[in-house]
Order: sequence, then C-alpha cells, then structure tokens
Amino acid sequence: MDDPQILKDQAFADFAEFINPMKVRTMKNAGLQIIEEKRQGASVWDITGRKYIDCQTGSGIMNVGRRNPEIVAALKEALDTYDIGVFLLVSKQKAALARKLAEISPGDLKCSIFGVGGGEAVDAALKIARGYTMKTEIIYAEKSYHGHTGFALSAIGREAYKEPFGPLIPGFKMVPFGDIDAMRDAFTNNTAAVILEPIQGEGGIHIPPDDYLPQVRQLCDDHEALLVLDEIQTGFGRTGKMFAADHYGIAPDIMTVAKSLGGGIYPISATVFTEEIQDFFVPHPFIHLSTFGGSDLGCLVGLATIEYIEKNNLAERAVQMGQRFRDGFDRLTGEYEGLLLEVRQKGLMMGLQYTNQSIGPRMTKKLAERGVIAVYTGNDPAICRLMPPLVITEEEVDLVLNALEDSMKELSQEGGIGIDD
Amino acid sequence: VATSAEIMEALADYTIQCNQNKRLRRMQRDWTKLLHFVAEDTGDKFTMEVIKGEIVSTAEGASGTPDVIVTATSEDMCDMFWGDLNPSQKYLDGEIKVKASQEDVMRIDAITMIIWPDA
Repeated sequence: MDDPQILKDQAFADFAEFINPMKVRTMKNAGLQIIEEKRQGASVWDITGRKYIDCQTGSGIMNVGRRNPEIVAALKEALDTYDIGVFLLVSKQKAALARKLAEISPGDLKCSIFGVGGGEAVDAALKIARGYTMKTEIIYAEKSYHGHTGFALSAIGREAYKEPFGPLIPGFKMVPFGDIDAMRDAFTNNTAAVILEPIQGEGGIHIPPDDYLPQVRQLCDDHEALLVLDEIQTGFGRTGKMFAADHYGIAPDIMTVAKSLGGGIYPISATVFTEEIQDFFVPHPFIHLSTFGGSDLGCLVGLATIEYIEKNNLAERAVQMGQRFRDGFDRLTGEYEGLLLEVRQKGLMMGLQYTNQSIGPRMTKKLAERGVIAVYTGNDPAICRLMPPLVITEEEVDLVLNALEDSMKELSQEGGIGIDD
Repeated sequence: VATSAEIMEALADYTIQCNQNKRLRRMQRDWTKLLHFVAEDTGDKFTMEVIKGEIVSTAEGASGTPDVIVTATSEDMCDMFWGDLNPSQKYLDGEIKVKASQEDVMRIDAITMIIWPDA
C-alpha cells in the first residue's frame, strides 16, 4: 500500500498543477493541508489519519452528518435499480420529492423544479420571477451570496465576484441588508422580485432585525412583486427550524434549496414556488430544463435526507447544540473581548466576529492545528463561520469550544490582533 | 534593523523581478493600486505605484492615498523584497500586517507565489 503522505503530497502537487495553484497555497497557509479520506458524523479524517471536526461542511451541505449511513444506504439501494433518468420523461422520484418539499415548505409553496446546484436553483427562481410577473427589476442585498451562475451572479452582493465578467444581466438593484427604508426606496412599478437570504451566510452570518423579513414580505405584496428566499444554507433544520423563514412567520413566493438536500452524498437543488406561479409553466412546459437536475438518484437521496432530518428532529437538535455553543461563546466573549467582538447565531448557523481581517485566517490555522475545520467567510475574513453537522454531539461541541479557547489564548499573545491592526 | 537605503535596494530588485516576469504581468494586468510600506521599528515609509500590473514607481515616504498598507519590521520588509521570507507566513503569524481589501490581500499573496514559489 502506498504511503499516505506520498499520496497526499502527490494530490497537492497535481491539484496545484492541473486545477488551481493558489487554492493549494491558500489551504496550506491556512493550515488546511487536508486530503479528506474517512468521513463520519461530524468528523473527517485526513488521508494520513488525522481526525478533524468539520465545522465548515461545504458551507452547510452536511446537516445529516458526513456520509450518513442511512443516506448512503438509500443511494446504494437506488443504484441497484436506477440511474440518473431521462430528464424529458415523467419521473416518480421527482414527483415524490416535489410532494415532500410541498409538505415541509413554508406557506403555500407547492411546486418544484429541480437543478443540480444552488446557483442553478437561483437562476431558475429569478427567471420565473421575471417570466411570471412580466417585470424586470430584481432587488438584492449587499454582502449577499446566491451562486456563480448568470442570474445568481448578478444578485451577488460582492463586487469582486462580478467585476471581471461584466456586463452582467441588467435590472439588478442592490440595497443594504436589514435596512427596510432602503428596501422600500428601491421598489418601483417594474420590480419583479426581491431575493434575500433570510440569514446571510457567506456575507458573515448577518441576521436581520425580527421585523425586517415580514416588512419586505408586505412591500412585495404592495408592489405585486415576488419574494424569493434563498434557503440554500439556512434550510433543512440548520437554524433551528426546518427553514429560516419559519422563524419570522412568513412564506416566500419562491424558495431555493440545495446543499443539505443532497445529504452530502449526491448533488441536487430545487426551486419551490406557489401553485399560482406554476401557471407560468402551463403554456411554457419546456422553457426551463436541466439534464441532471432532479435526477432519479438525487431525488431518492433528497427524500431520504428529509426523512432523516424529520425522524431525528434535527432542527430541535440544532437549537440544543446551538445553545451549548452559545454558552461557550458567551464565556469566550468575556475572556477575549479584545479579539472576539460579537457572536451572531441562529441554531447551528454561527458567526464569530473578530477584531480585524487577519484574525480569521490565523484562527483558521490555529483551529486546524487543534483538529477543527472552521474557516473565515468569503466576504469578510474577520468573520469565522461555524456550520457543523446537525448531528454533532455534546462532546464534539465541547472539543470545538476548547479548540477555540486554546486558539484565542495563543493568538491573544501575538501581535496584530487589535481593531486598528 | 534595515536602513532605508537597504530597503530601497531590495525594493529595486523586487521591481525588476516583478516587471520582468511575463506570467505575473499577464496575471496582474487588471491591477492598478497604490501601496504603502511601513517599517514599524524605524518609522520609514515607502510608496509603490502599480499600474496595470507594472510597478511604475517606488519612492521613500508615503505619498497619495493608498489602497494597501503593509506594515512590518524593517528587516522583514527587506527580506520580503529580496524573497528570503514568505510574507504569507509572517502575515498569518501577525508579524506582517496588511490593511487592504480581501481581494488585494489575495493578490499580494499571488504575487509572492509567482515570484518566490518556494519561499
């Protein structure tokens, strides 16, 4: 058998040469010299055998845990009979997953079209919004993240992702997240939709005021515009409810889901909308298609994933484990107030706001040295995002908290940790 | 401790290396920035102007409104420009401080990777 270290070195070298050298450099600098091998629950083992607790989880694709045995079994069973399926034909697997999504989704959301990833789901949502309303303007939020495809990219609130690729799709208008006055001012008679993450993930775990989303909902109603909620990171129990919209007592007209719908095993996304909006597709039944979206295999994995989340009440578990984290965070905030400014959290969607942008990468490295994968957010390196699997145990929560405390203790003795550094 | 003259000498060599590196020039051709370098132990300051990936000027003193401010000891700064240390590592150790957008921090790291792949 080959030496794991040799295999690892070769993988890094090949990745740098054939895929992305800067990604390799960034991972090495951040202490994330990891080639994932064994995966189980909240843990992942490097090819050399080193164990880590995964608090990154592909920004939330592992709600049911790494390589959950029930989801793996569902896929294996599906593979005994099925393949991806022919997208043009009617599929019982698609129908079953769409029925299940209708059952668990907020409000009157009932109908689905499927994709492979989150960006595809957002593209579909915004196409539907324009097609259905026959209006063109889309309002989106600063620091938002919706994916890197055409419509989704146009709705990203970070210029660096967009700037090299312009001109993008016209008609997109950005407003500050959580500012209802700015949102109100942005509406016109040509507003087709507002797209928001209920809680911003990539932007740095930003939670809006409690009355923000209900007021946006009302503004959309007043202007006959659609509310699109991107629940790609917040969905499937992550925040302590099945969907984050449930915290605010509202329902969108269109909801996008992806990431954890695939159980960390098989890629699938969905755009879920009301029956009224579905009427748009009656005269246009083939206007939006996806070869691999909602494959028979993916739908069976999605069904198994939702059933697992419901059966094991993972939303409630997110509340309980979130509170355990919270107790630890409160202690750390008191002890390291010069380093940790604020904690933003809903269930197991958690963000640590550090004092400056160098801290995120430095903490990432120190945490990796202590067996925890927790990475700063793409939009702001001063924020560490923690999104562990919802199946994380009490003991694992404590290990993460201990690693955070040890890392902060070490970092607080180094230079460059102040707000002005 | 490195003197201002020593840092300027290192900076001149760095400028030649950057400007003669075709791969780097191609990669950075959409990067126009004003950078300040501050030696925290001596208080010396330096300004570098980059236009479309080319370093068009370096000078002692801090002039203009910078997009990027790099703060380090004079010795680290000298070593960095000579390619004798990996600034990314020093940044992660909190010994080199960079005030810039995340994109510009990444750009600087990319430059170091191209110029000193083994540093």
